[in-house]
Amino acid sequence: MKKLIAMLLVLAMVFSFAACAKTTDNNTNNSGTNNTGTSNNNDANNNDANKPDASTPSTLAVCLASEPDTLDPALNSAVDGATMTVHLFYGLAKWEQTADGSLVIAPACATELPEGVVNADGTVTYTYTLRDGMKWSDGQAVTAADFEFAWKRAASTELGADYGYMFEQIQGYPDNLSVTATDEKTLVVTLNNAVSYWNELLAFPAYFPVRSDVVGDEAWATDPSTYICNGPYTITDWVHNSVITLTKNPNFIDADTITLDVLECYLSDDNNNMLANFENGAWLMIDDVPTNEIKTLQANYPTEYVVAGQIGTYYVNWNINKNLLPADSTLTGTEAEAAQAEIRKAIGLLFDRNYIVEEIGQAGQVPASSFVAMGMTNPDGTEFYKTAGHNDGFYGYYDVSADAYMDNWDSAIATLKKYYNYDESTMKFTNFPTLTYLYNTSEGHKAIGEYLAGALASVGITMNLENQEWNTFLNTRKNGDYFVARNGWIADYNDPICFLDMWISNSGNNDVQYGKGAHADLAMYDLDLTAYGYDVKVENGTWAETYDVLISIIKTCTDNNTRYALMHIAEDMLMDTGCISPLYFYTDIYMLDDSVKGFFSNPLGYKYFMYCTIE
Amino acid sequence: MTTKNLFYILKRLLLAILTVWVVITITFFVSRAVPGGPFLAEKAITPEAQAALEAKYGLDKPLMEQYFTYLKDIVTKFDFGPSLKQRGRDVITVIKDGLKTSAKLGITAAAIALVAGVVLGAIAALRRNKLIDKIVMVFTTACISMPSFIMGSLLLVLFANILGILPANGAAKGGLILPIITLSLSPMANITRLTRSSMLDVLGQDYIRTAKAKGVSGSHIIFGHALKNALIPVITYFGPMLAYIVTGSLVVEQIFAVPGIGRAFVSSITARDYPLIMGTTIVLATLIVIMNMVSDILYKVVDPRITLE
Repeated sequence: MKKLIAMLLVLAMVFSFAACAKTTDNNTNNSGTNNTGTSNNNDANNNDANKPDASTPSTLAVCLASEPDTLDPALNSAVDGATMTVHLFYGLAKWEQTADGSLVIAPACATELPEGVVNADGTVTYTYTLRDGMKWSDGQAVTAADFEFAWKRAASTELGADYGYMFEQIQGYPDNLSVTATDEKTLVVTLNNAVSYWNELLAFPAYFPVRSDVVGDEAWATDPSTYICNGPYTITDWVHNSVITLTKNPNFIDADTITLDVLECYLSDDNNNMLANFENGAWLMIDDVPTNEIKTLQANYPTEYVVAGQIGTYYVNWNINKNLLPADSTLTGTEAEAAQAEIRKAIGLLFDRNYIVEEIGQAGQVPASSFVAMGMTNPDGTEFYKTAGHNDGFYGYYDVSADAYMDNWDSAIATLKKYYNYDESTMKFTNFPTLTYLYNTSEGHKAIGEYLAGALASVGITMNLENQEWNTFLNTRKNGDYFVARNGWIADYNDPICFLDMWISNSGNNDVQYGKGAHADLAMYDLDLTAYGYDVKVENGTWAETYDVLISIIKTCTDNNTRYALMHIAEDMLMDTGCISPLYFYTDIYMLDDSVKGFFSNPLGYKYFMYCTIE
Repeated sequence: MTTKNLFYILKRLLLAILTVWVVITITFFVSRAVPGGPFLAEKAITPEAQAALEAKYGLDKPLMEQYFTYLKDIVTKFDFGPSLKQRGRDVITVIKDGLKTSAKLGITAAAIALVAGVVLGAIAALRRNKLIDKIVMVFTTACISMPSFIMGSLLLVLFANILGILPANGAAKGGLILPIITLSLSPMANITRLTRSSMLDVLGQDYIRTAKAKGVSGSHIIFGHALKNALIPVITYFGPMLAYIVTGSLVVEQIFAVPGIGRAFVSSITARDYPLIMGTTIVLATLIVIMNMVSDILYKVVDPRITLE
């Protein structure tokens, strides 16, 4: 009898597993029938993946992130969405890897990338000629008018795209953009002034062409059948929240250069899940890994674990309008702010950035001593961050080397002693007001917050931690309802201005609240640009009278050397307030299987799979 | 069916509609009261663009007006509006996509829980205090006491990472196996225990002894008399079980990255995608309300002694 029951149990188990297997079979079939064409692809892939037969299409399965909010090149503002759009569209220019591995901006839809013509009023006009024979994926010709339409649409207030501001260099921004298709093949655009990163913008997704008869209904970008594009691939299947399949576009003008036939972008934002799929070989490239696995991955996958540069800075952000002085302080107005700037800078020196990147970040981040991120270059080719701060012996505004940490600490304590009571026996400050550090809910940010609080606690400064869910956090920080907050900024193009113009008084990204509230009235900043040929000399001006003016001058400055010198001055002003305390420069971590060749990524984090081969 | 029963069902239906309406109202105002907004991003858009978007989606109107417009659109046009974050997609489309996967996950899990639970429960009752009974009891206790996020993670590590025989990603081929098992274990264990205890109860009844005395065959007693009556309490568990599966799938879909409605619900909240928050909430609430109603009515159907009030 016992045997019989055991048998029954086994049967029951088998039955339940059989039931499961059946469901998943259905699952695959369903997705196949919903979207004709893919199930065949999948089968071909499964059967022939290991055969190096040239006649079978090469397929690469990757995972960048979860379902993209949009694949409309104008509306997208996410890195994963940008990666997909660079595979689907072809702009006037593109990122290209040269034989020696370096990245350049090369003409794509344009026959060449000509120099601009400077007009009498200082504006610059560019004239582009489109290549012959370019077609959309439905066979229609790509015309200059498509570019004109796309740019005007992307910049418009009406569309309200996150990246609308990428067009602010063009005359007439936002709603009267000076872009004209003078004939089928010629596009003329006028910029307010010369900008060094203009060609790079031409390779940016927001600048990709779209067709007016295609994008009328915003739903066009969510359905493969209405997704008309002009790039290396077309979307042949999109199982929402599951996988997007890109297949080589036969109408693409440079189709002969594309080596990868099918790119499957699996959609997941769970990095543990991604790693599991990478480790079992299902996905050959994943764009994120769990932080707590990084050390293991470095050891186990020395060649497949990749740390790439990324132009971004992780920093501690102080609210300039929160009072830091002890309760009995008699300082007011500009004197109080000057003292607080000194205090904030001193506190910034208490943080051991090497510890943060080596023990907490663990992803090859670079300790930062300036705000404009590593990866930006001066006109002479030197790195911007290495010439920041104008100090001898080290880069940036303080010495970030491990050896200098104790000296930094001592000088910070000496500075703080000027303003706060210090108990020599316990080596702690006794009357420092309590701080609150705000971060968005995430293990990584929490770990850094805990370290910062710990470092401050050791000198008697209490900093409480408060976390908020992402959207609430953005709102709180933007409104200035915080004392100290975690912050980070990643560049959209290779020019330091994108780290600097965000701090003008009326900027939507001015989280520090420069020139807002009480700070708006503090006349304490100096700006002297007479040495650079400008009639600007301000003593004891407000933030609006100095920093805002400086940024507007930088934006219209056409001499590159002067412009970069001015940008260094702007960064000096920012760092002198102590409100921005850089911790490290970001890196971009991903896993790439050794069998994938011909892959590259650009400094903005976009991944390029079209020239890949799988060995 | 008597008029009394019909009246009862009608009453329950009205109550269900009222419940859903209350859920809609609370969710509408609470979601708007939460700080942040759908157009907030790390890199801020201009105030003009923000205003243009708000006007486009009617978010610039007074809240009460938005509320009534929303109710009107649902009732008259069954229109749940566009998603604010996944621009170009309607809430209905997003929900339909998610529901397909979630339904597959939920229905299979419920079916497995029922079949396996009843079989295991019956076996345990028939072999009371034997080894097999004890194994089943320990196993079910473990399943009940372990929350689904722990169970899910354990199964994930075991089958996807260590053994490597099942995919970790719910969207992949065969990816629903692990989430289905995770989701079915706890209700299965509950059903096993319910079946076992009510079966034991039934087996001790006089009519079973009578049947035995009459010489009715063993299997006929079990399937014809005992099991049939023992299943009544299991039916009462039907409502709570489906509620568990609906809510449990929120967690399980996250763990296994299953592209279902649960995940759409969670991400809509993070994104402040108001219409999608509303749409998913309404669907989930309606599901639970209906399931509970059906299980109450079913209870009456199987046991005529119960009167519906």
